[in-house]
Amino acid sequence: MTRSYVARRLLYGIPLVLGVTFISFLLMVYFGPDKTYELLGKNPTADQIREVRQALGYDQPFMLRYADYLKQLVTLDLGLSDSSGESVSSILGRTLPISIALVLPGFVLGNIAGLMLGLMAAWYRGKWLDKLIMSASVVGMSVSFLVIIIGLQILLCTPYGLNLFPVRGWQVHDLGSYLYFVTVPTLALVFVTLGYNTRFYRAVMADEIDRDHIRTLRAYGASPFELMFKHVLKNSLIPILTRIMFSIPFVVISGSLLLESYFGIPGIGLVTFNAITSGDQPVLKAVVGLTGVLFVLALTVNDLLYSLVDPRVAKP
Amino acid sequence: MMNDTWQRLKSDRYGMGGLMVVAAFAFIAICVWSGLLGQGWSEVSGNRWESASASHWFGTNLLGQDIFQRTLFGTATAFEVGLIVTLCSTILGALLGALSGWYSNGWLDEVILWIKGVLDSIPFYLFAAAIAYALQGNTWAMHVAMIVTFWTTTARIIRGEVIRIKQREYIEAAQAIGLPDLLIIFRHVLPNTFHILLVQASIVFVAAINTEVILSFLGLGIQDGVSWGLMLAESSQEVLAGHFGNFIAAGSFLFILLMGFNLLADSLQDAVDTRRVIQ
Amino acid sequence: MPNTIKIAMLLGLLLLGGCGDPPATQNDVPVKTYKHAMDGAPGSLDPAQSASLYANFMVVNLYDTLYRYKYLARPYQLQPNVAAGLPEISDDGLRITIRLKPGVYFMDDPAFAQGVGRELHAHDFVYSIKRHFDPASRAQGAWLWQNRIEGLDDWKVAGSDYDTEVEGLRALDDYTIQITLIQPFPQLIHTLTQAYAAIVPREAVEKYGQMLSSHPVGSGPFRLDSRNDTRAVLVKNPDFRKEPFDLEDEGYDPASQADLGLHVLQGKIPPFVDRLEFEFITEDAARWNAFSAGELDFIKVPVSQFDHVLSTRSPLKLSPQLGERYHFEASPESGFIYTNFNMADERLGHHPDPHQASRNRALRCAMVKAFDWEKRNEIFFYNIGRVFPGALAPAVPEYDPDADISYNRRDVQGAIELLQANGWNENTLPTLDYGFPNSVTERQIFEQFRNFMMDAGYPSSKIRPMIFATYGDYQRAYSQGKVALINSSWTMDYPDAENLMQLYYGPNASPGSNSANYDNPDYNRLYEASAAMSESPERTAIYRQMNQMLIDDCVSINGISRTLLFLWDRNIIMKPDRSFLGGYFMRFVDLAEPSRAAP
Repeated sequence: MTRSYVARRLLYGIPLVLGVTFISFLLMVYFGPDKTYELLGKNPTADQIREVRQALGYDQPFMLRYADYLKQLVTLDLGLSDSSGESVSSILGRTLPISIALVLPGFVLGNIAGLMLGLMAAWYRGKWLDKLIMSASVVGMSVSFLVIIIGLQILLCTPYGLNLFPVRGWQVHDLGSYLYFVTVPTLALVFVTLGYNTRFYRAVMADEIDRDHIRTLRAYGASPFELMFKHVLKNSLIPILTRIMFSIPFVVISGSLLLESYFGIPGIGLVTFNAITSGDQPVLKAVVGLTGVLFVLALTVNDLLYSLVDPRVAKP
Repeated sequence: MMNDTWQRLKSDRYGMGGLMVVAAFAFIAICVWSGLLGQGWSEVSGNRWESASASHWFGTNLLGQDIFQRTLFGTATAFEVGLIVTLCSTILGALLGALSGWYSNGWLDEVILWIKGVLDSIPFYLFAAAIAYALQGNTWAMHVAMIVTFWTTTARIIRGEVIRIKQREYIEAAQAIGLPDLLIIFRHVLPNTFHILLVQASIVFVAAINTEVILSFLGLGIQDGVSWGLMLAESSQEVLAGHFGNFIAAGSFLFILLMGFNLLADSLQDAVDTRRVIQ
Repeated sequence: MPNTIKIAMLLGLLLLGGCGDPPATQNDVPVKTYKHAMDGAPGSLDPAQSASLYANFMVVNLYDTLYRYKYLARPYQLQPNVAAGLPEISDDGLRITIRLKPGVYFMDDPAFAQGVGRELHAHDFVYSIKRHFDPASRAQGAWLWQNRIEGLDDWKVAGSDYDTEVEGLRALDDYTIQITLIQPFPQLIHTLTQAYAAIVPREAVEKYGQMLSSHPVGSGPFRLDSRNDTRAVLVKNPDFRKEPFDLEDEGYDPASQADLGLHVLQGKIPPFVDRLEFEFITEDAARWNAFSAGELDFIKVPVSQFDHVLSTRSPLKLSPQLGERYHFEASPESGFIYTNFNMADERLGHHPDPHQASRNRALRCAMVKAFDWEKRNEIFFYNIGRVFPGALAPAVPEYDPDADISYNRRDVQGAIELLQANGWNENTLPTLDYGFPNSVTERQIFEQFRNFMMDAGYPSSKIRPMIFATYGDYQRAYSQGKVALINSSWTMDYPDAENLMQLYYGPNASPGSNSANYDNPDYNRLYEASAAMSESPERTAIYRQMNQMLIDDCVSINGISRTLLFLWDRNIIMKPDRSFLGGYFMRFVDLAEPSRAAP
């Protein structure tokens, strides 16, 4: 891998970041929700409407506002929330850890369980176990996230079911309370991702198992466990890592959006949802902008990793 | 080619089962569109939260509307969203993917790749919310949001396939005799990607129905009418008080249709992927 | 790799171990905590921006106002808060003098010299009101005082310089405020009970700027401990002025309030609890479940639970087994819900051509007749909301219980005939947009409305939903006249019917609170003539006459006042309020057994 390749990859990220920020700005800010009327008192005059628009910066020309936005992203000085007046960076600093704590167990468990099931299915390919796992994963894929959430809530959090866990909330101060609040969202997340994960891992593994050297090793009676972890998994690490890396920003934002607004958990998803429904643009554009930038970053790093493993990629 | 696919599909029990489920739902949707079913979705025909009975198969909701009628109407909504989104995003993905693959490494390819990269980098629900805003109150806001995000995957797959097809002899021959690029793309390249498009379309259909539910729940879904997502949103306010009608009706219809589609998509994939079948 | 398995197993065990564990407690010291549920979250906690009910609730606990209402007296009566007594008003009603209590201190904060809170003075009040006339403060309360106070509007025009004195709003000395009005404004003292009029120290505004809204610096009974999108915790302000609680002075009525156990509070120093925990839970069902599980001390019962909570509806009676655990109160809402017609829309509202105007009036009246209040009340208010004609809601003494209520009675046949007689049919009826901010309930309300109209022959395709993602966007749309049917609610700002009558005053048309854009010269004239009057039989007669105009013109499908049901734990000693007193009651909340306070 040459230095110029790295430089080119990084340069390629710039138009992408510009595109992401431009589109999110255009849609979420320029055409986005208007907070003017929420900040007006009763019986406002035309002057007061103009003043509020001015205070919110709505009267500035488009390009100026966009340039301001870019500056904010670069300097990480994201301004103040239009709703609570708290600084956006401190909102993100407060909520992001909660969201990570919320989705991490589900994400990890979902991937590990998917990996295990995928391995088993690939190993016993075509046998009844494979068929069972694959049928179960189709069933899993066919249940909507929303149905899973509502269903689990009925089953685990209400007197109509086991009534073991809280309906909502997040008052975490130690391990016990963490588990108390995180269990149901975690189960929901595992359930919704397991089907997709299992199929993905099976497909990746199945390709690998078919390779000659694995077949040979298998014929010589290598233990399936050793074979799996030492050879198969190692060789399919790249697609697996890629998948995991790309899903992180989406699980954190999109996954938590639904989970947090449903379970009333004060993480970044709920903050974003509230920003959408209250028109809090500074929060909204910070969240979209930063996830976009992080994603592009992940994309670039991933490409570079690929070229490390497979130098042909880096050739012009 | 298509004939073989059909033969293989026919011999797959799961696939045929899936196809039958989808066909049954499509039939319901057609009946709703032609005014034979589900016309009373909005009418108040009973008391609040009646339980299931001969006149209200799935009971009634808060307003006293018949949940069964609403579920049927929701089927039509699901198909409407699914069909429009699938059709538009597949066409868009096929065209842009083909252009991008044909002119790979050219400026057009770069631009299309750039647009794709940008669209893929924005978290989906936020993007959908943004479009719903920009087109506020517009009936098609949700459809547009899905089309704009779903075409990229199709385009990526088609691009790869076109790059492969491009190197075939008959394409090179066509170029040699000076046929215009666009003609070659439409006549000889795209038709050869049809099987991939079919599989991809079935996957998009599932995604569209699934997404409609979540967008409707978040309040970014359909404007007038009723959908399973709206019914589930309604149920989220009722289940804790012990009213499960909306949840069971919409949840199970949604599950059965998605199951049918997933099975169909799977066996379609197997049927067109000869390499896999031979193994 | 086996490590991965270990981790997986460990996590699995942890998850299993978590089942059934109650939330652990972290402190062993018994702390008196009161847990209050609200159905929404406040945005800004800056008094100048405390527009929402939720913000109001918190702001009046963090800051001080000159006046509040008596804790227990109903109807509501004014009570000095940091004012030393009721105001002295000159004979012409134009000059108001208010004296402050000495010895009121702001809480300690780095904004002050040496970080020690200083005494609250008259100029702090003057400063706090001026902020509403300073565009830089993003204040929302100016409408309460604009064109009311001598020189204040001009002060804004001149550039909002705080060092320039306003003639009508002066601190004569540290403890004396003098307000000079342009014309008599009998509701002035009521406006001074609002969170908008809470007193903010200038140092804090200058130090924190816009961030004051998340960093309150006041002199109230509590201070902010923490806050996020789902909850806020307030802790006792140890330096709060020591004023013993006096039952009689707060308007105690032993006959109706003996059961609440309030007598034990006599002579104690508020605030009585150490912690106020606010839970912001928007979903009714989740709020109810948390309350049932004992996680909350107080709840406004969601309508879906009315069935379960009440044993009889008239009179309203709590079910006996709940009565063992909870106190109960039914409290009428100080406001109402209504659906306005956009009178500025020539297809159904005012029209220059008298013939068309009368056809439009017939259309509106037919829609009023088609509307089924009984059903609306049954489905959404469990039949305990109070339906009334016009804008004079049951919350005000001007409400006439013997008034003719035929305006609220459904008459589908009459509606159909009225439409026919005026040449309205499927083809000529206009297509109307019915606006609402997105939510499940709002959509259900819309669908029910459309059903009512369909019964009178209005084609369902001609009543269209117009859905907005945020309430602000909805407000913008109807303020710009884009919505034909405007469903909204009004919560009174102070207990005076003037606050209701102004809803249909012509000059208050959009973007003002007259969202119907009703403009009737007769109505306007009567409103202006009565503006300087206080509540009196004479004014009541005028208001009832104005109300009749609203009914005759079919300006609005109005209205219903909800009946709110409150439940609170028997361990809690209080009389909660969600009306004019609002959050002020919280300083008087106490617990019967403090030991139960620890979770």
